[in-house]
Amino acid sequence: MNAASGSILATSSLTMRFGGVVAVDNVDFSLAPGELRCLIGPNGAGKSTFFKCLTGQLRPSSGSILFDGEEIGGRHTHEIVARGIGIKTQVPNLFEGLSAYENVSLAASRRNRADRAAEIAGEMLELMQIPEIAGEAVGTLAHGQRQLVELAMVLAGRPRLVLLDEPAAGMAGEERARLAGVVRSLAGDNTLIVVEHDMDFIKDIASTVTVFHRGRIFIEGHVEEIMAHSEVQEIYLGKETNAAA
Amino acid sequence: MAAFGYWRGVALVAAVFLAILLFVPAWFDLFEVLQMTQYVVLAIYALSLAYIWGFGGIISFGQAGFFGLGGYAFAVISINMGETTVPFLLTIALCFAFAAVLGYFMFYGRLSDVYLGVVTLVVALIMWKLISHTAGPEYAIGKARLGGFNGIPSIPIMQVPFTDREMDPGEMFQYFMGLLIFVYLLLHVLIRSKFGRIAISIRENEVRTGLLGYDIRRYKLMVFSIGGALGGASGAMWATYQTFIDPNAFSLEMSAKCLIWVMAGGVGTLVGPIVGVVALQYLSLKLGETAFMNNLVILGIVLVLLVLLMPRGIVPTLHDWLRKALALARQPSRRGAP
Ligand SMILES: Nc1ncnc2c1ncn2[C@@H]1O[C@H](COP(=O)(O)OP(=O)(O)OP(=O)(O)O)[C@@H](O)[C@H]1O
Ligand SMILES: [Mg+2]
Repeated sequence: MNAASGSILATSSLTMRFGGVVAVDNVDFSLAPGELRCLIGPNGAGKSTFFKCLTGQLRPSSGSILFDGEEIGGRHTHEIVARGIGIKTQVPNLFEGLSAYENVSLAASRRNRADRAAEIAGEMLELMQIPEIAGEAVGTLAHGQRQLVELAMVLAGRPRLVLLDEPAAGMAGEERARLAGVVRSLAGDNTLIVVEHDMDFIKDIASTVTVFHRGRIFIEGHVEEIMAHSEVQEIYLGKETNAAA
Repeated sequence: MAAFGYWRGVALVAAVFLAILLFVPAWFDLFEVLQMTQYVVLAIYALSLAYIWGFGGIISFGQAGFFGLGGYAFAVISINMGETTVPFLLTIALCFAFAAVLGYFMFYGRLSDVYLGVVTLVVALIMWKLISHTAGPEYAIGKARLGGFNGIPSIPIMQVPFTDREMDPGEMFQYFMGLLIFVYLLLHVLIRSKFGRIAISIRENEVRTGLLGYDIRRYKLMVFSIGGALGGASGAMWATYQTFIDPNAFSLEMSAKCLIWVMAGGVGTLVGPIVGVVALQYLSLKLGETAFMNNLVILGIVLVLLVLLMPRGIVPTLHDWLRKALALARQPSRRGAP
């Protein structure tokens, strides 16, 4: 079977250059509807840049991106989002001065009238199990809570493809487990790509893992298989333990 | 609840403005009424920038481009038509359209914010340069000679709408004050609408707003065009108030003053810039009367002090002080509880 057929997302030869740096290099990536995929790779591997190409924050240097069979490469962000892609960026992107509730209802109000948007905002904060912070200004929240608010915002737009760039960063044990639960529950109805560094978190949520290295797809496979792979340990896990030391 | 408090504040301000509208012409002499009419016109000019800057995150260093365009457009159209009502409306529409075209190139050309400010400045300066070179008799549009540096004299005095009766100074003050109240309320309605909340969210976080699926360019273009229309309206009012317009309407000083009023009064409020206009214009008027020291120097010192003592602007700072004072006043009663 052709990799692209029946897939919700398929890139071919996707390339993003910054001057001499090739951040994303000839990537052929495809994803089945309802799949939950983890994307890992050392710092600077090109994961965030790959996401930015998918969401139109960057215009790819070359290659194509098919979403639901439609070319979206180089389209404007708002057009892509309207087609059903939502992203939680690596750097938190929230409206700091607004409350958690206002943040989420603003996200919901693109597609809904005010009263329905308010309902959705309540539901999403409930789903993240943070209804108690609805009224608090996002700028005053802890990092982990901010991540959950941003995830609630992303989901409030009802995207079919959800991109999460390091969603567990800054989260403690209990919060992290809650996030993993939310992510698992989304799979099936939604399609997700999750970028993460934390291997325990990945084991918690995923089956298939794609490893990025120097802008290319290094290997793809089952999480256990990938983690046992000696070269992956060398380029990725080895680096991470170095960084931790 | 929060919305109720918001509109209560707006209604209070509008009521104060309305009282001013009703009582000023009766209580003050002609000179003072004329002086206050000037503040009202400049207040609308300041609001044109206060809106796009505070509620759309668009900073324009060349807001005088719209002020001057409005003044000249009104002069030319009203001289040719021999009345003022339709020319005033046409001028507003023209300035809206001009801002829309300019904004289209800026926002759809993915120009970054800093360049945006510079482009507006350059456009205003180009207009100033162009209009200054129209001295010869060949530079005439219909019956109106542009007059180069000398400007256009004999611009019709504003007439009572849809009649040919000229307003007396008291009536003109009331008419303009009414327009100021209208603009003030209109902008608040806009700001609180869904459109307005999204425009504010662009100011707060442009990336996130785009990622929520909103077309940022469209919102900015709309905000900028509304600002252009208001700037143009104020320019037209200036022209009819003075019955005269010259290239200084486009000048760097005119753009800079607008930035200063808004900054001094407080970016992100609408009352603030109005207070800024009145306070600083009154101050320069008083300083102009004394030959004590160059008034630009004193104005500069006042501005530096303002920036140091009230970095957020007069109105937000006073608002804070008032809240703190009220909290302090309430404290003794709380001390009774353990
Ligand atoms: N706007 C940019 N201009 C120039 N180079 C860039 C830009 N954005 C990313 N890069 C470069 O592209 C490469 C990939 O960066 P990217 O942020 O995509 O990596 P990443 O896999 O997300 O890393 P991390 O795990 O640290 O988030 C890096 O070498 C980075 O320096
Ligand atoms: Mg990254």
